[in-house]
Amino acid sequence: MRKDLSERALGALLLAPAALLLLVIVVYPIGTLFWNSLHGVDNANVAAGEQFVGLRNYVTAFGDDRFWASTWHTILFIVITVPGSLVVGLGLALLANMPFKVKWPVRLGLLLPWALPLVFAGLIFRWFFEYRTGVVNDTLMRLGFEPLSWLSDPNLAFAAISIAIVWKSSSFMALMLLAGLQSIPKSLYEAAEVDGASKWQQFVEITLPMLRPAIFVALIFRTITAIQTFDIPYAMTGGGPGDSTETLAMYIHKTTLDFLDFGYGSALAALMFVLSMAATSGYLKYTRRSSGRSGDE
Amino acid sequence: MKTGMPFGLSRRAMVWLAGLIVASNGFFPAVWILLTSLKTETELIRSPITWLPEAATLDNYVTAFTAQPILRFMWNSFVVASLSTILCVLVSALAAYALTRLRMPHRNLIMSVLLAIAMFPLISLMVPLFKVMRELGLLNTYLALILPYAVLSMPVCTLVMASFFQDIPPDLEAAAMVDGCSRVGALFRVIIPLSAPGVFTAAILAFVNAWDEFLLALTMMNRVNMRTLSVGITLYQGEFAFPWPLISAALIIAIVPICIIIAVFQERVVGGLTAGGVKG
Repeated sequence: MRKDLSERALGALLLAPAALLLLVIVVYPIGTLFWNSLHGVDNANVAAGEQFVGLRNYVTAFGDDRFWASTWHTILFIVITVPGSLVVGLGLALLANMPFKVKWPVRLGLLLPWALPLVFAGLIFRWFFEYRTGVVNDTLMRLGFEPLSWLSDPNLAFAAISIAIVWKSSSFMALMLLAGLQSIPKSLYEAAEVDGASKWQQFVEITLPMLRPAIFVALIFRTITAIQTFDIPYAMTGGGPGDSTETLAMYIHKTTLDFLDFGYGSALAALMFVLSMAATSGYLKYTRRSSGRSGDE
Repeated sequence: MKTGMPFGLSRRAMVWLAGLIVASNGFFPAVWILLTSLKTETELIRSPITWLPEAATLDNYVTAFTAQPILRFMWNSFVVASLSTILCVLVSALAAYALTRLRMPHRNLIMSVLLAIAMFPLISLMVPLFKVMRELGLLNTYLALILPYAVLSMPVCTLVMASFFQDIPPDLEAAAMVDGCSRVGALFRVIIPLSAPGVFTAAILAFVNAWDEFLLALTMMNRVNMRTLSVGITLYQGEFAFPWPLISAALIIAIVPICIIIAVFQERVVGGLTAGGVKG
């Protein structure tokens, strides 16, 4: 009994530094975020500085076209790049699961996109998609097509950014799915082979169902990062042409740091927080359930 | 395996092709930037473009080092990434130990909270954190990035180290304590040395995360000589009319350290990433 108590006290002590850091860097700032979002500068009385304005910033947000547009762009990026990087990532994982004699080129081929900073991936793909000097238009012309103005046409800019995001995020997905693939017992495939199942049947009947938990976790991770899309469009188009590729994260950043409208920026950030927490709670529900299941075994 | 291979390729050819696709998908952008960085400015603006440099030159690298304080950016990135890594690994090691080797109440709840933080939208945190740092007078100081970066990598580091700590037999620790070690002493003399690969993996992940981060670095450092590499290079564009020769060389300089780290420690990095993802 005494030993139990001291073990608890020690545990609390060891968790204290982590808790303190979280308090200072996450909990306190997020608390002030909601408080700040209820404040703003009154245009009629600028000298008074920031004052309590209630829910005014939220009302403004719901009537702000640029807020809705940037939210819509964010949703579009989620809807395009999450399935996109799942498909590409699954393809890469299946290819990387082959029995290679020399493993490092494939492993590094999957690690390099992950290790590259997002903004650098954005810069590199911007160079790829340059009108006159980019490798993409060069390839199109060699194949006999007309060059496309990738970064100055709203739809093409959207496509170019999505391609860059899928390239950057699919390899991390592939690494997670590859770990899932390698945990599938070989005996399942051998049994299926004996029963005369084709490769495609094996993929649909064994690989996909066994991979479901890994796919789910990878999808949630990707969705949560997709909600925050910032770096790649920032580097490739800066949100342009016009505001046609501006994401919610970029609009929040501009509102706060370029327009210096702290109250409104806080309200937008709070809305983003709620959106993303909804996704997270779905994820936590899933992991709790699955860890409960593995505990029963 | 007697089933026929698609397109009539032999099995060995299929394996080769698969490897080629994965490797070139990963390497092509970096290789293309490397080729770009070796071309002269006149070659770069020519159309149609060349693939291999006609007369390879290192001029762009000379410009990259002289036109902007890139060594200073690199130093900033290095200081911020290494100090935040040390802080993160220390704090996470203690937490992981408490969560795996002590009988703690609400262990799962604490783990869930950690995971929830990993999924936090950084942009929502950035807005109030900027204000907090400004009030504390910490803008344009290393501390403004070190503290948040340590927190950002804490969930993955804790998970990775927890999965290593779990595998150490409790007897070893008990033996150390019989020999007169305290519990914390046993943590530093037995557990951490035995799970050195796990600690190391956690450190690599934290370092790469910090080295790559952009949004907070852009926000907290507005003085040019406090910029980190990712911000410094990206903001070149604001100051000249997009200087691709210079940028390509700067990009190569910036990604070489990361490439070395992942090349040397590739197996650990893969193991750490998937431990944090799949087991989480």
